[in-house]
Amino acid sequence: MRRGSIVQLIVIGVLAGAIASAFALIPGWLPEPASREAGRIHFVFWFVTGICIFVFSIVAAVTAFAVWKFRAPPDDDSDGPPIHGNTALEIAWTAVPTLLVTAIAVVSAIVLAKDDAQGANPLRIEVTAQQFFWSYSYPGFGNKQSDVLRLPVNRSIVLRMTSKDVIHSFWVPEFSQKQDVVPGIHPTLHITPDRVGTYPVICTELCGLGHALMRSRVIVMEPAAFQKWASQKGGA
Amino acid sequence: MTTAVAEHAQPAHEGLPPPPGGWRRLVYPGFLRAAWMTPLFFGIGCGIVVLCRWWGGWHPIWFGSVIVLVAALIAAPIGFLAGIGAFDYWVRYSIGEPTVPEDHSGHGAYSWRDYFRVNTDHKVIGMQYLVTTIVFFLIGGLLAMLVRAELAKPGMQFFDNQTYNGLFSVHASLMIFLFVIPAFAGLANFVVPLMLGAPDMAFPRLNALSYWLLPIAGIMMVSSFLVPGGAFASGWTGYAPLSVHQPLGTIFFNMGVQWAGASSIMTALNFLVTIITMRAPGMTFWRMPLLVWANFTTSLLVVIATPFIAGSQFFVMFDRIMHTHFFDVGGGGYPLGYQHIFWFYSHPAVYIMMLPGFGIASEVISTFSRKPIFGYRLMALSLMAILVLGFSVWAHHMFVSGMAPWLRVPMMITTLLIAIPTGIKVFSWLATMWEGKIHFRTPMLWAAGFVSMFVIGGLSGIYLGAVPIDIHVSDTYFVVAHIHYVLFGGSLFTIFAGIYYWFPKMTGRMYNETLGKLHFWLTFIGFNATFFPMHLIGTQGMPRRVSDYAPEFAHWNMFISVASFFLGASTIVFLYNMIISMRRGEPAPGNPWRALTLEWQVTSPPPIFNFDEIPQVVGSPYEYGVPGARHAVLNGDRAAEEVRVH
Repeated sequence: MRRGSIVQLIVIGVLAGAIASAFALIPGWLPEPASREAGRIHFVFWFVTGICIFVFSIVAAVTAFAVWKFRAPPDDDSDGPPIHGNTALEIAWTAVPTLLVTAIAVVSAIVLAKDDAQGANPLRIEVTAQQFFWSYSYPGFGNKQSDVLRLPVNRSIVLRMTSKDVIHSFWVPEFSQKQDVVPGIHPTLHITPDRVGTYPVICTELCGLGHALMRSRVIVMEPAAFQKWASQKGGA
Repeated sequence: MTTAVAEHAQPAHEGLPPPPGGWRRLVYPGFLRAAWMTPLFFGIGCGIVVLCRWWGGWHPIWFGSVIVLVAALIAAPIGFLAGIGAFDYWVRYSIGEPTVPEDHSGHGAYSWRDYFRVNTDHKVIGMQYLVTTIVFFLIGGLLAMLVRAELAKPGMQFFDNQTYNGLFSVHASLMIFLFVIPAFAGLANFVVPLMLGAPDMAFPRLNALSYWLLPIAGIMMVSSFLVPGGAFASGWTGYAPLSVHQPLGTIFFNMGVQWAGASSIMTALNFLVTIITMRAPGMTFWRMPLLVWANFTTSLLVVIATPFIAGSQFFVMFDRIMHTHFFDVGGGGYPLGYQHIFWFYSHPAVYIMMLPGFGIASEVISTFSRKPIFGYRLMALSLMAILVLGFSVWAHHMFVSGMAPWLRVPMMITTLLIAIPTGIKVFSWLATMWEGKIHFRTPMLWAAGFVSMFVIGGLSGIYLGAVPIDIHVSDTYFVVAHIHYVLFGGSLFTIFAGIYYWFPKMTGRMYNETLGKLHFWLTFIGFNATFFPMHLIGTQGMPRRVSDYAPEFAHWNMFISVASFFLGASTIVFLYNMIISMRRGEPAPGNPWRALTLEWQVTSPPPIFNFDEIPQVVGSPYEYGVPGARHAVLNGDRAAEEVRVH
């Protein structure tokens, strides 16, 4: 390859990387995080995005360069050079992706382990799903019932979930945590909310006719306000 | 389907035997016999149900959903198959009637009528597959348009929830079971025996039967809209226990999958035996074109995996009809069991829907770049690696399902590992194009479009493979975007590449190049405009499979809907091109692409038994630019002059 071609290739690659980066940075891809788990998951998201932009730029540069430079005139009946392979190149494009996916796997496994670990003195809440609503119960507060999930900020929360009928799925986009809610088993989900506010609880597993409307709210409150609410008798 | 250059073909006999006249026509294999045998078998099915229930003392004796299952969904289709003559030869054999093993009375097409009968010619069956699957592709596409119409605005516009859930469920089922999988089987049916230098598939009668199971499965799925309660509405994944308690339409899905799955398994066995035993002399495994390699690995996947989805659907049906408790917690069942069994098929199914496309891309890219495929052996080995790894990743669909948490990290590692052989393939295609003499004819446009779109689909797959990100985006529009980038930008683009590439070989006529390119660009633009924004609304928080959504997603959904109608309209260009080119296209030469594989060394369309003389394979199929190299020697054949000799 001539030096000029390499420069052109790099220019196209940088251009493709810039376009991909613009796509990554300009729209708000992720909801503003409201839990520590979300912060960590967003880190994995941007870590993977960085690697993907790198890979995409290389592929896009090679493709664009090939389409631009190696187009044959319609009356050209000749063949290209009979290149059957290149062992060094083939080893390289096996080894480099291996390293990249290993890095992604390691980062993911660490974040997963952190997100799965519950903090000290967690608040336990029972979550029950049924067609088509959510209900929450606070065993630490005399099994207080609520149809809105109220959480104190900056405290480790353990949601223990089950379903009364079919499979549902509990998702709060701002928490980035999701768990299918399955009849007969009691999976748990760990959340540490770190931003006061009201966010939607969305059912993300098709559960029947009312699936689209199976929504609830989560309200993250100051600890004192939560304590006051939780100690009151009566619902909501 | 015309015989523009048929004078080169040397038919063994002049046309298939005509049907007899008068009442004999009623017992002659064909639609007329099917017209009375289908209701007869339906009646027999009803009789069996009534008799069993009377004998067992169950009430009521006439029980609707069992009648539908046994009589309408099992017995009547068997009656139809018997009527059109799919079993005639085997029945004659089994009752001791004289049979001729080399019976070619159902081989080949001499007029358009021969495409509407049980035909044992792999080329005819290939065409039957393709036309049938394109019909279901159009139906599935129209259903998608209806889904997008409903989603154009938040709130409910046109449909109630039951209908809406039915629309996307049937859309996905048709596209997967009645389009992508069998369309690849159809292309391979036409091409693989030719590429191997074989006169036909190993089991032509089994081949005919496996085609005719397909319209049955498709009609079953589409007709579920007509039964009381509406179409099956628990998604193409049909998760239990929801699917157990759905209206009657669900068993149309349970049984439709059985018929389509049986068809897949039979075809796959046929391909395996054909590829192993019917290669021309000299065609070693390492001289097989990559399309043949791809169909070899795909067939292994089908044979090993498909029984699992059959099992999962039988379990759901048994829970419903026979009150078993496979997935019923109250009876000691385990709902996640369904997902494990289902995904043990349905993840390999992703590769069943992609590997044949890899094969097509390899053929097209090598031919139109005028260069040998880069790293041929590594390309074949990476197919095998995907085959093996493909069976070890199913639980990545279940990261949030509540399965054993320790399963997640191992499944993530195997999932990410699949990126390596897939990456090897992408890099090898790019290296094949590098320094080539690229001719951007329509098939090459589709193949290059496939590589670029598949890269995006592959990269979004990395996001989904990483467990923490998957927890956030699972069951959102991000997943919808991903599957459409791999199944539309991946599989469908290669199906179009294959259809345009082999159109001259199949029909004996050239397609219209301008319309082909127009079709590509309209689809390419419409596809990206439709599916790329879905990534964004998914990560932002829009779940999938909803008829209504939060108002903040209204603008993007309107944009996506408009783009999807544009995308749908681009199909009209394709259909118009196919129809006019089939009727009035320029006659195609035997080898319009100057390709080296065997199917191009015979006339277009090929002779009725493919090769007048068995070819002798002497080298690799991709020796472009190698002086004096050739793939095969065909003697005494007019087309042999077109084999490239330098």
